[in-house]
Amino acid sequence: MAEKIITLFFLLGSSSYLFFAQHFAFGTLNSPKSGFLPILSGILTLLLSLILLYKQLRSNKKVVLDKVHWTKFIFIIIGLLFYVSFLNSIGYFAATFIFLFYLLKVADAAGWLMPLLVSFSSSAIFYLIFANCLSVTLP
Amino acid sequence: MDIFNMLLQGFWVSVIPGNLLACIIGVIIGTLVGILPGIDTVSTIALLLPFSYGMDSTAALIMFAGIYYGSKYGGSTTSILINVPGEAASVVTCLDGYPMAQKGRAGAALSVSAIGSFVAGTIGIVGLTLLAPPLAKAALAFGPPEYFAISLVGLIFLSKLTGTSTLKSALMAAIGVMLSTVGLDSMSGISRFSFGIDELDRGFDLSILAMGIFGIGEILSTMTQINTATDIPLVKFKDLYPTREEWRRSIAPMFRGGVVGFLVGLLPGPAATISSYLSYALEKKCSKNPDEFGYGAIEGVAGPEAANNSAISATMIPLLSLGLPFCGATAILLSGFMIHGITPGPALITEQPALFWGLIASMYIGNVLLLIINLPLIGIFVQLLKTPLHILMPMVTVLTLTGAYSINNSMFDLIWVVIFGILGFLLRRTGFEPSPLLIGLVLGSGLERGLTQGLIICNGSIWAMITRPISATILSLGVIALFYNVVRWFTKINCAEKKVNC
Repeated sequence: MAEKIITLFFLLGSSSYLFFAQHFAFGTLNSPKSGFLPILSGILTLLLSLILLYKQLRSNKKVVLDKVHWTKFIFIIIGLLFYVSFLNSIGYFAATFIFLFYLLKVADAAGWLMPLLVSFSSSAIFYLIFANCLSVTLP
Repeated sequence: MDIFNMLLQGFWVSVIPGNLLACIIGVIIGTLVGILPGIDTVSTIALLLPFSYGMDSTAALIMFAGIYYGSKYGGSTTSILINVPGEAASVVTCLDGYPMAQKGRAGAALSVSAIGSFVAGTIGIVGLTLLAPPLAKAALAFGPPEYFAISLVGLIFLSKLTGTSTLKSALMAAIGVMLSTVGLDSMSGISRFSFGIDELDRGFDLSILAMGIFGIGEILSTMTQINTATDIPLVKFKDLYPTREEWRRSIAPMFRGGVVGFLVGLLPGPAATISSYLSYALEKKCSKNPDEFGYGAIEGVAGPEAANNSAISATMIPLLSLGLPFCGATAILLSGFMIHGITPGPALITEQPALFWGLIASMYIGNVLLLIINLPLIGIFVQLLKTPLHILMPMVTVLTLTGAYSINNSMFDLIWVVIFGILGFLLRRTGFEPSPLLIGLVLGSGLERGLTQGLIICNGSIWAMITRPISATILSLGVIALFYNVVRWFTKINCAEKKVNC
């Protein structure tokens, strides 16, 4: 099922891409313009996703996938979204510390003191490496 | 003689303390990457790209190359000891390596694998030394039609050789080409698919895509996996000696594997993985005891392990001489080159001889270092399999995000890394191989440039474009591959309908 949803997503994606690609001039073979490859690759992608979806719909084969901890997956995504949203406003050190601590707890790190220490020291080390050694301007 | 002198100068470059240290760090990280399941070569190089900013460009590239070929040495360790391949190229090693370990011959399997990797790795590097310069010289005569032909054939081969479904790989490559068209058009300067967002005018950065799809995607997969604990056998130094019989049976497969790997490495696709399968099949055919295969035949370890290392060196030939990556790992290596303002390709040897020959010489040194590291220190590396991933992975996540941010100091890039990360995770879950997407993105811009400029040069005549001697030769290979794929596809459908094995 998941396989078909992904293929459907690609089908919709390539259809919208092709729709927007038509806004660019295709040109001629003598003088191809900026829409030349986008239109060709859009058509190709659309065709490939259609064939794949048709094949998947016709096939009775069930794809056996490894089990995934979906709750953990959702929690990690929430953490990632928090980090991306608040990095600029609360600054690199604070955001990284909170994010790391949160991820360690999501990843089942035992106790409170060890995750706190690991997140604090790692955030400080990363800050020193990137801001001081690599001269990156961090938020 | 000229090549020999240049290589000698390369050795001078590669033994400069900074470069030598980079080589040592690279091969150690590479070995760790190979050993630790869940972390692959592409994601590691992607994660380390930002760290290389402060480094000298030669040292940085020596380190990346070290990670690349080093990972294939380490990959066999987990295959042999716990039946879990650290790398896709080591899957075949499980077939006979693990049964050998169960029979108490893990040490012999590990040492044969390390020595085989060294022998074949050296064969590959010698081939790289001899072939890359003349190929680069020949490539100077290449025009847009030839580059179009190479890019197109690269994509065609790729759709067959990724190991997953041909259709899925082709779709991934086509999406990669689609993504490559986002941003300013190099010919007309028109902004495409940016929807008024200035950051999208730059297009999709290769390293951002790689960090997301491979880095964050891999982290998500590892952190959400439901693991079962595995016992790791103890390997002592004295157990590493193969018997005289094991030696005798391993030598020829090592050399055969080296040759097979080198030839496969010149083709687009995941050469290391394919060459290991081919070598296994070849060894089974050549063996006097084919029935032993699958139950602990040492040839089944020596051949494939040799082949995947030789293939790695061969994949550097199209990258260094043509500037074209034919697999995911060389695509990310290309990204490493570009971050340092270096464009691999025909002009690299003449414009940056110290870097080119220093890099090749470092591979000879790195290969020796890997043998030294992998034999006596194998016991220590095996202990690393006990690294708690629940502590390691959150830290790698922060490193990846910080690294992605630091490329352009852009929050926009960070958002894309997360989006690509989720996409990478979902692709893996649903059996789509993400490497063709990365290569499609890399080859896409060359394909477009070659196609549009080629058509202009040939006055719009596709026929004139594809019948130029070099492009015709390259395209013929592509047509044969495509025809073969189509015929096999129809045969498979036919067989499935008749419910017979083909």
